[in-house]
Amino acid sequence: MITSHPDGVTLNDYVDDGLTAAARADVRDHLASCAECQTVVDGLRGVQSAASRLPLLQPRREAWPRIERSLRASVPARRPVPWAAWLAVAASLLVAVALGFQIASRRAQPASSTADADTDATAQSIEAELRQAEEHYQKAISGLEQIKNDGKGSLDPQTAATLEKNLSVVDQAISESRAALKVQPTSEPAQASLLESFKAKISLLQDTVALINEMRQGPALTQKGS
Amino acid sequence: MRQRDTRAFPSNRVTVNRTDEESPDLVARCQKGDVEAFAELYARHSARIFSLAARMAGSPETGEDLLQEIFLQAYRKIGGFKGGSAIGTWLYRMALNHCLDFVRSRQAKMDKATATIDDDERPAALAARRDSPGERIDLERAMQQLPAGCREVFVLHDVEGYEHKEIAAMLGIAEGTSKSQVFKARMKLRALLT
Amino acid sequence: MTLARTAALAAPVLLLLASEVQAQPVQLARLYQGRREAEQSERISRKVRVGRDGRVSVSNVSGDITVSTIGGDEVSIDAVKHGTRSAFDRVTVVIDDRPGRVDISTEYSRIGRWGNTNVSVDYTIGVPEGASVDLKSVSGTVRVSAVKGSVRLQSISGNVVTAGAPRVEFAKTVSGNLELNGVSFDGDLSVAVISGTLRANGLKARSLDINSVSGDVLLRNAACERVSARTISGSFEYAGTLARNGRYDVASHSGDVRFALGDGTGFELSAGSFSGSVRSDYAGTLDIGRGRGRGRGPNRGPGQTVQATIGDGSARLELHTFSGNIVIDKR
Repeated sequence: MITSHPDGVTLNDYVDDGLTAAARADVRDHLASCAECQTVVDGLRGVQSAASRLPLLQPRREAWPRIERSLRASVPARRPVPWAAWLAVAASLLVAVALGFQIASRRAQPASSTADADTDATAQSIEAELRQAEEHYQKAISGLEQIKNDGKGSLDPQTAATLEKNLSVVDQAISESRAALKVQPTSEPAQASLLESFKAKISLLQDTVALINEMRQGPALTQKGS
Repeated sequence: MRQRDTRAFPSNRVTVNRTDEESPDLVARCQKGDVEAFAELYARHSARIFSLAARMAGSPETGEDLLQEIFLQAYRKIGGFKGGSAIGTWLYRMALNHCLDFVRSRQAKMDKATATIDDDERPAALAARRDSPGERIDLERAMQQLPAGCREVFVLHDVEGYEHKEIAAMLGIAEGTSKSQVFKARMKLRALLT
Repeated sequence: MTLARTAALAAPVLLLLASEVQAQPVQLARLYQGRREAEQSERISRKVRVGRDGRVSVSNVSGDITVSTIGGDEVSIDAVKHGTRSAFDRVTVVIDDRPGRVDISTEYSRIGRWGNTNVSVDYTIGVPEGASVDLKSVSGTVRVSAVKGSVRLQSISGNVVTAGAPRVEFAKTVSGNLELNGVSFDGDLSVAVISGTLRANGLKARSLDINSVSGDVLLRNAACERVSARTISGSFEYAGTLARNGRYDVASHSGDVRFALGDGTGFELSAGSFSGSVRSDYAGTLDIGRGRGRGRGPNRGPGQTVQATIGDGSARLELHTFSGNIVIDKR
């Protein structure tokens, strides 16, 4: 039998069934005649019982929107566009724009005083460069169209319809320019129109893709170039 | 200062019939990065994880920050979940590890050993002492008033149900220290609650 | 009774029970849907100190944004939610203020499909006169008046209207219309309209960059030093004055291009169209080529090219279309 009071940790172990059988019996016997220690044991048990029955805490209602934002900020595209695709689009654009500049600067050069043969050669070279530029623009356009088609569902129907309608307007301009160039391959207005139409299509597709990305992340809009 | 419209009504919660097992479809959707699937996962498990985090951290505000970090971590790592346990268990373990990291890093910053309640006081003396006579507060608030190291051991043992041996391993302390900390926490809480 | 027979007898009962269990939530749902909720409003008002030239941004989804000036150095924010109260819980007004700036935004939680929240938020914001504003909206009108700091505006389907805001630096819409009145500053303005119309009255800027697809561009009382405009089917009209040594480069596919010029600034003109016409009020040294390029190979299109020098030829106009007509008028 314990004649002095058990220390606090022993009483605590008693509450938690952490004593040997013999030690447990000793404490039980002591408690039978010690109201002070019994009070301590009751108190320890009360806290332990209350703690084990604590209800789950609920986070604030605002917690999920914060978390959702951070998840969306890290969400990849549903079908992630490989970096290679983006790089290909960028590369095509660079080449196309460079060729466009080249064509424009050729035209801006003063007329040569040499024979018509030189003029014809220059015109053919411009046509070849135009075809090359067209190829590269087409590649960039295909890449962007793929990204746009993958993410179209993220846009509201009205905006999606407006963008598609305007893409058709641009496509119409491209067809008309091409048709004109078939008949008159050296027509500068037709060449210029074709290049401008490609640029407009790229720009519109980029706007569409940017909107898709913004909608996926949530309604906070971002401004191009800002 | 960031203000929120505090009169905003509760954000929409997905009501999900609670079942013991998660649907494999939900996990698969989460693994594909479906944020709305994650919303369902959050609805099911956020309370348990938030409870652990807020109580270990000693404040609901810090608990909410930890909750965000935990779910973001889960979002990033769920691809590696192989189904060896229920997704809730997987989440909880990740949460526990994250809370322990938080606790350890806070301890390291404070650069002192587990904060303890004074060793000298006898149980009876502790039982009789109160911060302010007649003050009654609830157990949650009382737990927040415990010193950090003491609170963590108490939460892990009395609230979460871990054994002293497990707690000792988690926190890098002796088993005896874990026992004495739980005792002192209980005594202090009793004093605060009566 | 065999197991199979028991099962066969039990099956309809089980099905009935199952359907009963299913029916209850459906009935409850129908009960809920049967109640029509009246539209309600809730107002949130705040004042935030940002300083006399502080920065204010507003990002909204559905609802109008109206910004005007008030004295002092505070921003007053009035946000009114409209919708059914049960949907209000999806929408939060966030006011994030830091030294010298305040960012206001509308956040929707758990948007499944776009636009199904049925809650709009109208913002009425009073800013210090010298503040800069940056406004973004998806649908809803954006209005700015009297703000003297820099103004940047973007909308998807809403209209954008400014009055007495001289420093509009950026304005963009997808299908909304843009109306800019009294823009006047020594800076650069960039405008993009996809299918909306841009109308600007009293537009004065160092440079103006416009991109349109099908939207028309109508500039009245314009006095810009540099203009670069591209449109596909929208028309472009510049009524105003040219700057000495100014550069004006406009290209359209099928939209018409028109310059109506006042004062007497001389200019050099290079205008060409594949199949449209070129017409000018100006007598001068005109070299009208029909089906002729700039001396580089044959161009047998039905269109026209014009090279002209008017007055001292200090400004330069480069106007090109595919099928749109080009007109240069005297005002």
